[in-house]
Amino acid sequence: MDEAAEREFEEYFRARRDAVRRTAFLLCGDWHRADDHAQAAFVALHRHWRRIRDRAALDAWVRRTLVRAVVDESRRPWRRERSVAEPADVAVVASGSDAVATRHVLVDALRSVPPRQRAVLVLRFLEGLDVAGTAVALGCTEGTVKSQTSHGLTALRSVLGDALDDLRPTA
Amino acid sequence: MDDDERLATLFAAAASEAGAPPTAFGHGDVLAASRRITVRRRTAFITSGLAVFALLGIGSAVLPGYTQQPDATSAAAPAVAPEAASGSDQADAPAGPGSGGSELSEGLRSAPTDVAPPGSGTGVCADRQDRALRALLEQVIPEVSGARPGAVTDICLPGGQRYVTLEVDDTGVAGLLVVSYLPPGTVADAVAGELTAPTASGGTVIVSSRPAQPGGPVPFEARLDTVAAYLAARL
Repeated sequence: MDEAAEREFEEYFRARRDAVRRTAFLLCGDWHRADDHAQAAFVALHRHWRRIRDRAALDAWVRRTLVRAVVDESRRPWRRERSVAEPADVAVVASGSDAVATRHVLVDALRSVPPRQRAVLVLRFLEGLDVAGTAVALGCTEGTVKSQTSHGLTALRSVLGDALDDLRPTA
Repeated sequence: MDDDERLATLFAAAASEAGAPPTAFGHGDVLAASRRITVRRRTAFITSGLAVFALLGIGSAVLPGYTQQPDATSAAAPAVAPEAASGSDQADAPAGPGSGGSELSEGLRSAPTDVAPPGSGTGVCADRQDRALRALLEQVIPEVSGARPGAVTDICLPGGQRYVTLEVDDTGVAGLLVVSYLPPGTVADAVAGELTAPTASGGTVIVSSRPAQPGGPVPFEARLDTVAAYLAARL
């Protein structure tokens, strides 16, 4: 890459790194793995930087790369996630007002949601994408996004129960 | 606040970095990793290219005969091949890798008038369609000049042997004409229908002709003695 392109990439990286890292964290539930996935997404972006002509589509490109990497990893034998008949007990923090406590509770609950459904929930409620945007990011139909959202929320509620309503962050 | 907004607020809070470990990578790490991958891929590409190049070089050096015989397989066997195979042990004598049909045709067009001397072959396996032997055969039977090469096998003959088999047409009488030369010391099994003659060099020439259909007329039947005598004097 030439100097101008490198500078452009650096600006984008500094602006988006933390957001991408946060998304990766909710997708995989672990900050260290989130760092790995986010870094891998930025490395891929750097390698494809010259080929991505639509700079407005950078966020979508990184998002798609990240989600695909996390979902693919969840399918690998040594990290394969298993569906369980009964969702794991989640220790719900009574006060529900602390951000860290909220994170623990929600992240624990998200672990019980299948990876694709989890990705839909994260894209819709963290990234703020609509159904169409989520479908583009995941490479599926809008109908699939709707059904995955529904299933994902059902799974989340089955774990959190009424606690979902109690988790009202003050921050 | 509706349900979606509440969930969005909840997800944002859950993804907050309060209490999270500091970010483990920076811009420099991304650049370094990207360059490492680029270098690794370039190296892999160059290495695989060199490996292919080396394999092709080794292959063409070790197996020169196989690079020039596109038609020389039993898969291209002509219709008369089964009869030849069933009728003559010598005619369907195993042969080693050598020139095939296309090379033979090319060789025929540029066939030297001087016939290579008989004796030990230059390779491990005899030529399955010996151009020199064919040139001699065409001298005594000019009608076979345009004949297609007959089917041969992939079995290796000793290099001193010579062999040629042609699909011939003797004024409407089709068949397979086979000539073999065995160097001195090689014992030839007598097979019915074959003419065997000792050659000038102490070897043996074997001439046979098979009809295209069992029981049919044999091409050049009346001239086989002449062929055997002509070749014997020159081999």
